[in-house]
Amino acid sequence: MGKKRKHSETQAGEPKKQGEGAPERPKRTLMGWKDKEEVQKQTDSNLESNPQVFRNKEKVMVTCSRRINYRYRHLMLNLVSLLPHCKKDNKVESKSSKGSTLNELIELRGCSSALFFECRKNRDLYMWMARCPNGPSVKFLVNAVHTMEELKLTGNHLKGSRPLLTFSSNFEKDAHWKLLKEMIMQIFGTPKEHRKSKPYHDHVFVFSIVDDHIWFRNYQISVPHNESDKMVRGGLDKMTLVEVGPRFCLNPIKIFAGSFGGPTLYENPFYVSPNQIRALEKRKKAGKYAKKVKAKTRRKMHEQSNPLEPDEFADMWRE
Amino acid sequence: MGLRSKDLSFLQSENAAEDDVDDAMDPHSEEEESESQSESEQEDVKLMEPSKTAVYNREGLVEKLEDISWPENVDWMHKLSLDIDQEKEVDVNDDLARELAFYTQALEGTRLAFDKFQSMGLPFLRPPDYYAEMVKTDAHMQKVKGKLLAQKKQIEEAEERRKAREAKRIAKEVQAEKLKERAKQKKQEIEEVKKWRKQRQQSGFKDGKDSMPDLGFREGKAFEKSSKKRPVVSPGDRSGGKAKQGGGKGNFKNKKNRELRDSKFGFGGRKGMKKQNTAETTNDFRAFNKGSIAGNKKRKR
Repeated sequence: MGKKRKHSETQAGEPKKQGEGAPERPKRTLMGWKDKEEVQKQTDSNLESNPQVFRNKEKVMVTCSRRINYRYRHLMLNLVSLLPHCKKDNKVESKSSKGSTLNELIELRGCSSALFFECRKNRDLYMWMARCPNGPSVKFLVNAVHTMEELKLTGNHLKGSRPLLTFSSNFEKDAHWKLLKEMIMQIFGTPKEHRKSKPYHDHVFVFSIVDDHIWFRNYQISVPHNESDKMVRGGLDKMTLVEVGPRFCLNPIKIFAGSFGGPTLYENPFYVSPNQIRALEKRKKAGKYAKKVKAKTRRKMHEQSNPLEPDEFADMWRE
Repeated sequence: MGLRSKDLSFLQSENAAEDDVDDAMDPHSEEEESESQSESEQEDVKLMEPSKTAVYNREGLVEKLEDISWPENVDWMHKLSLDIDQEKEVDVNDDLARELAFYTQALEGTRLAFDKFQSMGLPFLRPPDYYAEMVKTDAHMQKVKGKLLAQKKQIEEAEERRKAREAKRIAKEVQAEKLKERAKQKKQEIEEVKKWRKQRQQSGFKDGKDSMPDLGFREGKAFEKSSKKRPVVSPGDRSGGKAKQGGGKGNFKNKKNRELRDSKFGFGGRKGMKKQNTAETTNDFRAFNKGSIAGNKKRKR
């Protein structure tokens, strides 16, 4: 398990003034806590000269809106169990998802990022991924949700063990993907010596971009054990992955420069809101009936304008 | 419900990824290309024109990226992230191929990570004797196990049933063959006897016993008895010889004793002797109401 944090290391607000002159003292270098503008260009030089320990102090706050669906609530709970460095908070009112209320909540809990699940119309789930102080935030539409409780997902792993994150190479293709990759890595990766983290690595996260969506999978690494911990080469080949779940698919909608707001940095041009999709479908169906009625009247007119000639054999079988 | 939304999400343009690759500089042209492609989809419910006002602030994105990213010299141990090369385009709608792609990506990643861990000399996998809290409870895993076992059993039973059916069919065929053989043999032998008699008749009964019909007695092919012994029935046996088979005296419970019962009582079963005054029935009070006379016994019930 992780070692206990020394009290001296938990001072916040300190690091700004620590320049090159204090190489011994470990400095909190989590970027989110520092002021950006002054350290921006000096970051590299600063850290190269200091042999500092980088400590990942990422904390994620996970909340949802009210009136969330059972399936999405279970998804959220599954994510809470997957991320030992998260804090689950109470439901928030839907009005407060805009603006500063959420930011205040995050500050209050002392977290550096947040995952907010917003469920609309009891049907559509939107997920916000945000970095608290002034970091970027992303809004996703979540599809294809399968929770861990499904019996077809048979794997199991240690609760709190650090996952291996695999990204497909598509993430390097464009700027917004790179940003998303960085955010995902920081939010979904368990910090190294976290209190609740467990030692071994027995599961893998898969993030891959297919059709402009980010697909998430979680697999357990299982190796048939005939020896204790020493892995022989042959054992590596027999490694299999069993899916643990959950599964979901994220469709990025917008990326904002600020946390839960701010200027838009990226907008997905192919995103259609689920409401619009449903409206279009209904309109199509409405069109069907109108067309049918029209076809009927057309047929009637046609029959009236071209009357049939009297049939010779009409009276043949009449008694 | 989740499945339905998945279908809806596939109405996004399929080739957007390729467009991104080709034309990274110009967002508008990529939108126009995909626009034409999107119109060619049949069940397309999405917008015909992808939004032309989509914002794409590359500089802003890059700036934010630099803001939030961890410093360069951070150990890989903190990040634990692996980049896997995805060779070919995966069709979203082909479930199997898509899942396979994810699986291979994960497998690749694990191997790479394993190599790194090996080189660093750090423990990687969980040893079998390490017990700690798991992410799914034991009760849940029991359910999973139950389901898997049930599935396996189902498959096995289906297999067995199919095999039994096949075997029965084959056995039936073999039996039919055998019967045909026997009939043929019988016919043949009768024909031979007839021929022999005709022959004898024609040649005037003068041969004596020289030419016996060749019925195969002499060659040692003895009359084939079936290996089953027919039940020996003594004259005083009223059960028709099948009493020994099923059980003892009154053992008529089993359905397999149909033959036994048929042989003893004839078809239709035991006809009389349904009610009888025996020692057991005299002392049997099951049929009487126990406490019903506690009420008014004159009241008509």
